[in-house]
Amino acid sequence: MKNKNIDLTVNLGTLKLINPLITASGTCGYADELDDFMDINQLGGFITKSITLNPRLGNDVPRIVETDSGMLNAIGLANIGVEKFVQEKVPLMERYKTPFFVNIAGQTIDEYVAVAEKLAQCKRLAGLELNISCPNVKKGGITFGTDPALVRQITGEVKKVVNDKLLIVKLTPNVTDISEIARAAVDSGADILSLINTFTAMVIDIETKKPVLANRTGGLSGPAIKPIAVYLVNKVYNEVAKSAGVPLVAGGGVRNASDAIEFIIAGAAAVTIGTGSFVNPDCAVKIIDGIEKYCLRHNITAVAELIGCLK
Amino acid sequence: MTTLPSKKGIFTASVLQNRGMGAQFFRLSLELEKRANAFFCAASAGQFVEIDVSQLALPVEKLIPENLADSSQRNILLRRPFSFADIDSSNDCTIIEILYCVLGPATLRMKTLKTGDTVNLIGPLGNGFTIPEEKKSAILVAGGMGAPPLIHLAKVLKKQHQDIEITAFVGAKTKNDLAFFDIKTDKLKKKPDITLHQFAKHNIKTFISTDDGSAGFKGFVTEMLKNRLGENKPAGAETIIYACGPEAMLSATAALSGEFKIPCQVSLERLMACGIGLCQSCAVKCKDKNGGDVYKLCCKDGPVFWADEVIWE
Repeated sequence: MKNKNIDLTVNLGTLKLINPLITASGTCGYADELDDFMDINQLGGFITKSITLNPRLGNDVPRIVETDSGMLNAIGLANIGVEKFVQEKVPLMERYKTPFFVNIAGQTIDEYVAVAEKLAQCKRLAGLELNISCPNVKKGGITFGTDPALVRQITGEVKKVVNDKLLIVKLTPNVTDISEIARAAVDSGADILSLINTFTAMVIDIETKKPVLANRTGGLSGPAIKPIAVYLVNKVYNEVAKSAGVPLVAGGGVRNASDAIEFIIAGAAAVTIGTGSFVNPDCAVKIIDGIEKYCLRHNITAVAELIGCLK
Repeated sequence: MTTLPSKKGIFTASVLQNRGMGAQFFRLSLELEKRANAFFCAASAGQFVEIDVSQLALPVEKLIPENLADSSQRNILLRRPFSFADIDSSNDCTIIEILYCVLGPATLRMKTLKTGDTVNLIGPLGNGFTIPEEKKSAILVAGGMGAPPLIHLAKVLKKQHQDIEITAFVGAKTKNDLAFFDIKTDKLKKKPDITLHQFAKHNIKTFISTDDGSAGFKGFVTEMLKNRLGENKPAGAETIIYACGPEAMLSATAALSGEFKIPCQVSLERLMACGIGLCQSCAVKCKDKNGGDVYKLCCKDGPVFWADEVIWE
């Protein structure tokens, strides 16, 4: 039940979201996969899985392994490619009112630009999320996201072709100073920053003495990474985002309203649900209710008041 | 031919019974909340549910087997997939039976479930076995923990085709690994008499194999199957093979299906995070229409595949 006295809207650049809950790329499918479990219209926003210029099969199996309060994945950006995505998946989005962002990835800057150009033509899309932080592909991905000069270049080149679409740059935590990367993205045209992608990690099968994942390493996600994510979000908020007026889309191990509120207090304008959707596919919607209850309990009339209110 | 995926949902279920069958095997009966009836009444054999076991308690320390002592300390995050060994669903009530073996930290927790406890599950998931009208005989091939969905399938086959002749081939490493079987030693024959009453009650002739020869044929279940197919040469148009078990066994069964030209469906197993097509982790390499490779998802496109669409590695 909605309480009319609480304003759940948050602003992401020029876009107003009905609430701060967004699905994280790679954990919610292309568009309609969660239909059986929730009304997508209840979400603040939706970020699709990564799309590349050409279809990608992805990595060999095993692609995942569970860890203590978390999991490693090495999917390898398996996707249908931008052409098929525009033909088959973008039309599905017409059924919803939710703003859709498409996560894009590539092996070269030219590839990112080519994908961005195609998607910039889709009226239905609110924006693009630049994936420069995937740890599970041999070329591209994280190589871009760990070098400030490359971040400047790729963000600048993609920005030129996205027209009026919002450009989100997704940061990797696998760097010495995340603020340096954040600054590079903001300086070269990022409208929004999202963080964090997964931590590069490994699980070893001690019987075979081999890594469990076929890709050897994978990205760690889930509740295990949440405190580090909260710290990094607050660091980027304080050191870059707040002064630049760039909103943060943030997450890492969020599975309930308390987790989401932590991220908002740390500086997130919107909160992403990733691994949490694997366990409870309807958790994003439940979190919205929980945030409302928290606001009532704390006499907060607008959730936006909470953004970056860390004492 | 493939059954359309039914609508899926998240439900609570209460435990009717969680009974041990020997040291490692358990039979869990769950009654689903009423809202689930509409979802499960059309569920087919081979489909599965994802159970949230993260909140379940561990057994007391002295009841934790030594080989699971370390892994039992791990917090569980992801749901675990289980196919049903039986499902009884009507407008009034849905009861599902899950047969499981204590193999890791999740099933170790399941062992502590008691009558009246509740669990949360997602289902029904995936695509089940196809039951073609024209078949006169069905061959079930189960390896290791592969029996449960075939037990369900046997019941459905008999219900839909009273005249269908079903033969089961069941293999395990040793006699003690023959899941869910009633083992009685006949003193006169000095050989264990092994039956699976769920198969026996449908008059299904069951052939047993063990890798070490401790029961039945000594060798792999697929070797036993090959011998049998060689002797009987069943007609491919009238016969279908259904298999569930370890990947190597399924691969060997698929090869026999090709050799003897008998259509075959296999139920595959993969590590999966979500079970509903979100995470893309349960990839199965298949042939696409143009002869190339394509990854299908075990959770959404499977877990049942035609043996000849899978690329066996």
